[in-house]
Amino acid sequence: MKHLRAVNKKARRIDQMISSRNDVVALQQQQQRPHVPMGCTLSFSPGWEVDSAGGTAGLCQPVERDIYDCYVTCFWPAQVPDHLNNYPDWASKCAAATKDWRKLDLVFP
Amino acid sequence: MKRISSIKPQALRLISCLAITLLGNAAHAGILFMGAYPNSLLVFDEDKGAVVERIPLTTGLPTSLKLSMDRKTIYVTTNDHSGIEVVDVATRKVTNHFVLNTDTKHFRFNGGTPDPSGTLFYTLTTEIDKMNDRYEIGKPKYTVIDLTQQKIVKTFDLAKEEETAMGGGGGYRTGFEISKDGKYLYQFGTKVVILDTKDFKVVDRMDLAKPELPGLESVGFGSALDSLSEPGQHISVFNAADPYVHNRIFGIGRFDLETRQVDFTPVGPAPQGMTGLQVAPDKKDAFTVVANGQQGNKRCEFWHFDLSSNKVTDRSEFACKSRFSFGMSKSGKKLYIYGASFEIEVYDAATMKYEKTWDLNNDITMAGLIEVE
Repeated sequence: MKHLRAVNKKARRIDQMISSRNDVVALQQQQQRPHVPMGCTLSFSPGWEVDSAGGTAGLCQPVERDIYDCYVTCFWPAQVPDHLNNYPDWASKCAAATKDWRKLDLVFP
Repeated sequence: MKRISSIKPQALRLISCLAITLLGNAAHAGILFMGAYPNSLLVFDEDKGAVVERIPLTTGLPTSLKLSMDRKTIYVTTNDHSGIEVVDVATRKVTNHFVLNTDTKHFRFNGGTPDPSGTLFYTLTTEIDKMNDRYEIGKPKYTVIDLTQQKIVKTFDLAKEEETAMGGGGGYRTGFEISKDGKYLYQFGTKVVILDTKDFKVVDRMDLAKPELPGLESVGFGSALDSLSEPGQHISVFNAADPYVHNRIFGIGRFDLETRQVDFTPVGPAPQGMTGLQVAPDKKDAFTVVANGQQGNKRCEFWHFDLSSNKVTDRSEFACKSRFSFGMSKSGKKLYIYGASFEIEVYDAATMKYEKTWDLNNDITMAGLIEVE
């Protein structure tokens, strides 16, 4: 915050120390996440088959709730057809994927 | 005449009061506009609890919505061909639409807002050029689109600080607001950056970050998730940190977009995740959703703020989904949890308790929702 300034000797010494070295990041570090091995898909990023903790509790349930946003953003192009480049009409006949998933088009890569 | 004259004055007063009440309710009936798969806007009547109209979009799937300052026009970006569609709120018709993509050039939008006159659209775009053997992805640039000429008329490079601090693209959730005179453009991301719309030079930077909620649906237009965006004002929750131990706090920031004055009131330690601030019409009550924990341990709470004292007055836990967006009815009496599905869960704002679920029968996109009367 720009408006914070040192008002006593100790604070000024901390200020000088901080400005003379790189940022202190220890307190900001997040809890280490588990290693998630690559599954049967090609993406290294968890989120589709497993969540970032290696389980499934963090995924949308049922999975069809989330299928369109994964499709549109091309984030998991190996698991879901990609909307932008190859399969723009994959979901054009299916308004609600959770209810009408049988209307999703077939994809033959 | 005989029949009217036979009605007693008290009854007349009662009838007139009833009529005023009914008209008042009718005037406050909220209409929601939402982006829907695969290529339309849903028009939802809050009173009826039903979709009353569907506006087809010829340029593709809506990814973001932005209401004009006079609340008469909605600007929609679509991602199939990087399109822009302009929708008239009153007639619910598309009045202008075009695409930016060509056979060899594609664009990606990240945030945006129209200028006050409605002739220009300011946004951040990434250009992707299709070469013979590869795609070349350019750096994000501030982009001015002329809505009349239906093309990009100017682009400006980001300052080095924005490129590095915002991950090269203004962050995943960049939001823009503009001052009423159109002179200043506010970019809300990991910092607040104020730009001069003449040359896109940075006028000022503020170390206030829009808080994010893991799993919160992204809205390209940023402040679409904050309900109060009156011309010249912007109120929301922001995160800040001191430079020494980086203790993160959150607070309420009030921006006067004309004078560039900011009033930031710290409230407490920053939670793990937080949505935008939904401000009721009385401008006194405001709500946000706070999430702590991850995956199956995630717990979500509604937080009720009293903006006159900037204090949290009430909290209530609710069962949240992995991904969702947070909204509020036009009257400020209902809270909405929606997104990543075909439903809107309705909570009563006074009690913050679940009431019902509206079935839209159509998945809605990450564009967020816009409310008009």
